[in-house]
Amino acid sequence: MASANKPINTDVPEKDVFALHFLQSLSNLRRQNTFNSPEKTNDRVKKIKKVAYVSMARAAGGTNRLWSRALLRRAAKENNKVVRFPRRKKRVTCLRRRRSNRRDPVEEEEAERLRNLVPGGGGMEISKLMEETAHYIKCLSMQVKVMQCLVDGLAPK
Amino acid sequence: MENELFMNAGVSHASEMTSLSSSTSPAMLNWASMETHQVEQSITRDVPRDCFYFEKSTEQSIFGSAPSSHVSSSPTPLNSNFSGGGGAGENYVIRELVGNLGYVGDIYGAPPASIGNSSGSCYATPMMSSPPLDAFSGDSRFAERAARFSCLGNRSFNGRGAETVPINGELTRVSSTSALKPPPAANRPVNLPGKEKLNPRSVLIPQLPHLLIYQRKLKRRKIRIRREVETQKKMERKRNHLIHTKILSMSGLDEAKPPIVTVSPNESVRREKISERMKLLQDLVPGCNKVTGKALMLDEIINYVQSLQRQVEFLSMKLSSVNTRLDFNMDALMSKDIFPSSNNQQVLRLESSSDILLADHHCHTLQLNPNDSSNNIMNPMETSESRSFNSQLPTLAHFTDSISQFSTFPGDDLHSIIHMGFAQNHISESNQVHSTSFQGPSNQVPSHMKAEL
Repeated sequence: MASANKPINTDVPEKDVFALHFLQSLSNLRRQNTFNSPEKTNDRVKKIKKVAYVSMARAAGGTNRLWSRALLRRAAKENNKVVRFPRRKKRVTCLRRRRSNRRDPVEEEEAERLRNLVPGGGGMEISKLMEETAHYIKCLSMQVKVMQCLVDGLAPK
Repeated sequence: MENELFMNAGVSHASEMTSLSSSTSPAMLNWASMETHQVEQSITRDVPRDCFYFEKSTEQSIFGSAPSSHVSSSPTPLNSNFSGGGGAGENYVIRELVGNLGYVGDIYGAPPASIGNSSGSCYATPMMSSPPLDAFSGDSRFAERAARFSCLGNRSFNGRGAETVPINGELTRVSSTSALKPPPAANRPVNLPGKEKLNPRSVLIPQLPHLLIYQRKLKRRKIRIRREVETQKKMERKRNHLIHTKILSMSGLDEAKPPIVTVSPNESVRREKISERMKLLQDLVPGCNKVTGKALMLDEIINYVQSLQRQVEFLSMKLSSVNTRLDFNMDALMSKDIFPSSNNQQVLRLESSSDILLADHHCHTLQLNPNDSSNNIMNPMETSESRSFNSQLPTLAHFTDSISQFSTFPGDDLHSIIHMGFAQNHISESNQVHSTSFQGPSNQVPSHMKAEL
């Protein structure tokens, strides 16, 4: 196996892109008539959360990232839509081998938890998983910043 | 069955009871400080009433010998972990203990829904290490409980021996064997992510009597998490817990973990990859510099991701509450606050524009363009934007004149609306759409925009 690995690319787009997508979907949401009823707070919260994640996925990676793909697929499934992603040519690596002594049980346990947290992490190996996690963390923190700014801005003075 | 056993045990220790009940250890004081009505409520919920008074005596005896001596050795974690309420007599405390007793037994059998699997499994782990207990088919629950008490006692003495619970000979022997084994630490940190404040090690002894407190805390925490919670505090709590659990895991794992021998040459490459990525993650997650080791790092990462996700949830809750009260005037103010750096002026514009749209109830007409479902709002902006995209400055100046006429907006907002930095590619909208979008906020705008575009 070649020891030279290309540097891990975990670039995340600027805040603006996030904000754009998020606000787009937010205003879409808002236009729904049932949205602003004061009773259904939980539903609203869930919708907003879902919207946030979906817009984050769209903004952050599109279909280049596994986690964003998984997120979008999940969201589409909820809406009974089918999302098709362009087939990417998979890099031929020998990472397919699962059975080896590299999986020590402690690490695997943690990896399992990470897989549960990061969307789309079910079938990944640890190295790939960590890459995805890094990108996911970046995007999540970006999303949090955007939302925080929004909330601060919109909060009554 | 259990009641009978308790009764029998209790009779022999009736004499101890009175003496011990009078002893006021700091733990008891802490228990006493809890709110009584809540205690009673939880007790009634969890344990059938008829068990109470049977078990009361045995509880006292069990706890009298065990915790009184070693509770004093660990008063501080107790103190730190209890938020006191109104004063309560010891009787209430004992009833709680009794309730806990029944509850703990249930936990071993099947974790009840209220406490959740996390605490159940956490508490179950010390029991897993005591296989002889399984032999007690009929009395398994009782045995577990009893052994647990002695376990708790023994652990405090660092495995001094089964001197604490003289219920019957077998049980003490069982409990001593179980007590001498260190708790399987690997299970422990997993099960209570971010939710418990009582770290298992230091509060091991009085764990059982304070189970009720802990349960209540858990329930409260769950409710709190659903409402608005300060995420920073959460992270702090998590970190503390994490540190404790890491200590646990480190101590527990060292003996258990076998050395991993790598055979294939790919192994080293893989490890390199993993360590490289670990470093990357370490940079991302704040406060990871001190932590070394894959497992701990991963723990930290997991907690960070969880906290981020909770933050998103929390903020979305906030947003939903704010969203309903969106007022137009706020948007003008908001646009200035949001991204103070000059690089993000585009976002500023974006924010202000979309909020204007958001606030505008007349704005439903915006969606009249069926071509583009997702980019409806932005498209009106983008039509102008795409035209002016390449040359921002001249158009900026161009629009500023028109903008200055509008008193409702401060100058920045409108031309920022117009100059969206990142246009989508759809330019299918007509100016009409664009103009109608501004009908609500300002009457002057649409006509003017029309003219401009």
